[in-house]
Amino acid sequence: MAQAGYPNEEKVTGRVAVVAAGVVSPLGVGLAETVDSLLQARDCVSPVTRFSVAQCRCKTAGQVPDDRLLAGPGVGRRGRHRLHRASHMIIHALKEVLTQQPQFKPELTVIGTTSGGMSYGEHYYRSLRQAEDLRHAPTWIANYPAQKPVIDAQETFGISAPCQVIANACASGTNAIGHAFECVRSSRYQRVLAGGYDALSEMVFVGFDSLQASTPRKCCPFDRHRTGMVLGEGAAILALENLELAQKRGAPILAEIIGYGISTDNFHITQPNPSGIGPRQAMERALQSAQVAASEVDYINAHGTATVFNDAAEGKAISAVFNGVPVSSTKSMMGHSLGAAGAVEAVFCLLALQHQFLPSNINFTAADDDLDLNIVANETRPDVLHTVLSNSFGFGGTNASILMSKFQA
Amino acid sequence: MSLAIAGMGWVTPLGSSVDSVWDRLLHGDEASATTIAEEFGDRSYNVFRVPESVLRAAAHPRLRRASVISRFAAAAGLDALRAASVKLDPQNAEHTALIFAISNGGVIYTKRFYRDIVNEGAQSASPLLFPETVFNAPASHLAAILGISGATYTLVGDGAVGLLAIKMAEDLMVNEAIDYCLVVGTEEIDWLLCDAYRRWRLLRPAAPLEPFSKQKRGMILSEGAGAIVLARDGPFTIECAHAGGYFSKRAEATDILKRILRDLDQGEIDLVISSANGTFVDEAEYRALKTVVPNAFVYTAKPALGESVGAAAIWQVILAVQALRSAELPPVLHADPTTALRLSCSRTPVAGARRAVVLSCGLNQQAAGLRLAFR
Repeated sequence: MAQAGYPNEEKVTGRVAVVAAGVVSPLGVGLAETVDSLLQARDCVSPVTRFSVAQCRCKTAGQVPDDRLLAGPGVGRRGRHRLHRASHMIIHALKEVLTQQPQFKPELTVIGTTSGGMSYGEHYYRSLRQAEDLRHAPTWIANYPAQKPVIDAQETFGISAPCQVIANACASGTNAIGHAFECVRSSRYQRVLAGGYDALSEMVFVGFDSLQASTPRKCCPFDRHRTGMVLGEGAAILALENLELAQKRGAPILAEIIGYGISTDNFHITQPNPSGIGPRQAMERALQSAQVAASEVDYINAHGTATVFNDAAEGKAISAVFNGVPVSSTKSMMGHSLGAAGAVEAVFCLLALQHQFLPSNINFTAADDDLDLNIVANETRPDVLHTVLSNSFGFGGTNASILMSKFQA
Repeated sequence: MSLAIAGMGWVTPLGSSVDSVWDRLLHGDEASATTIAEEFGDRSYNVFRVPESVLRAAAHPRLRRASVISRFAAAAGLDALRAASVKLDPQNAEHTALIFAISNGGVIYTKRFYRDIVNEGAQSASPLLFPETVFNAPASHLAAILGISGATYTLVGDGAVGLLAIKMAEDLMVNEAIDYCLVVGTEEIDWLLCDAYRRWRLLRPAAPLEPFSKQKRGMILSEGAGAIVLARDGPFTIECAHAGGYFSKRAEATDILKRILRDLDQGEIDLVISSANGTFVDEAEYRALKTVVPNAFVYTAKPALGESVGAAAIWQVILAVQALRSAELPPVLHADPTTALRLSCSRTPVAGARRAVVLSCGLNQQAAGLRLAFR
């Protein structure tokens, strides 16, 4: 019997191509701005402006400017103000995908998120509680559900695919891409859109602050002096297609998704098992799924939240499976975008493969003696990359890893 | 690929065992409406709540701080596994996938957490409550209780999300290494949800819920969970899970429901478990059913059990299994007897029924379907 967590070998019938990608994050709107920010190792974390953080320890986050979002494509003046910011983010990302692949007709859309239209829920509750104007309540309520931004984006571009919205906490985006990958690889689907989104909200920001998981300082993953995460926001979408079909129709192959691993670590609802067993299983299963050796992996985009516990568990797992592979957490540049993180970081991996560089882990000052990791510290470096791994782990002990490789005919 | 339903668990306002809830539905019982109010709200609402005794049965150390949504889910999930005679150990737990279907999630703790922020400021926010506000908290609790170490997913959507979860289970079980998939739909209610649905003109303030009525007076919210264990063999087979799609406007819901029914209809549909709940959904389903499967018996349990949103579609699947198993349908309560649909307005025998369709039209634009066969 095959092991759980990866497809049965006999059933693996198709290679899975990434034929288009779109991204919105604090690093930029679109692939071109994003790759520029990655190459410059830009720090895109700034003071929070969307709500008061006066009583929070942490005062910063990675934010997508509203003026960039609201100038978005395909949305009329009414929609511009009615739709949630998350909808605008996905619309931007999907627009970029469809600009590259106008004929891409997905049979399924799988998107990860953690908080949907949470800020509209906050407006609603606050207005009720403080007996304020509730004229906009129907709009807030209608745009609050987690599937709404996905439907908004699809509607904008006339796409009618069913939507599966995965809410596996911070692993959601990677789970969405991984599940979509398995759907295409099994040949049950030929074309699937996959990605993730999350917009900054007060409740979630305060939540992480209350757990003392977020930091009043800089986010410095894997650093000896790390003190926690900062939040971010964004959206990213990948268009996945059966490789053979994509080639037949002459679509450019940006990369291949070659493996996916998922595990559930039942240690604690907010903390990983210190042994790193959950992340380790996810990474090992991704390698088994791809049928590649750990030594073939050229770069790991780590979950790397910069919390003491996450980085310790992930670092332990990485050094148990890999030997000296370059590792970075791009959350150091833009914060943790939760349900979007896995998708945004998959796009970073795609760009790293395309442009052959190792994204930087900025704010790194000193190695943690307890971690045996080859951190890509502070500078983006050119390198030869063929296969890269992206990790995402979340509350509830959800762990997910995907493997992506440069396309070779 | 077809999957079989090997076991079911059900936590509802009418009780918590599949057979006893079914028996009460056959006898035309309706859950008792209770009233919920909020200190700052100017209205109160009728809801159907799960009896407290059911929660006591769902005690587990992992759930001591968990909201009721997690406890409903655990009770239903454990019952379903028991009914399927599946005892999870470290070996087969790795080969069992867990998929949750949720709509509003842990709204009680979410409200409480945010209330403290609004009233007292961010410094008063509780680090104990926050983790329970996350959508996948119920799934994580059940995975921990069961020791599941492989695939665990939480899907979020509207009333159709349970069927999307079954569709996902079908996709996961292409992997022959997965022996079982436990699919759980769960929901809890709070005054805030009632008020939101009322402002959206989907809720009526007091029971009864009148399905397929010309006047769409709205639904009554309820809570609970439903769970099914999917395996590869068994007498009740999911022949086709249809992921449907979404409708842009309510007026367009009929078209997508017709398409789903046409795709599922093999000319042999004996009965349909509808999602009619006293809202715009009823008219959309009425038109689709009348056009595509005019001869099928139609049943909705929502007048008796209420609208449980994220749990609703799994409840419908349980109803379909029970109807095929017992060859009868319970009475549809408070229905308009002049409707042109073949509603089971009294306890109705459906001897020889072999195929049922579960049709789900969600309140937030999603629609899906499923065809179930009894061999």
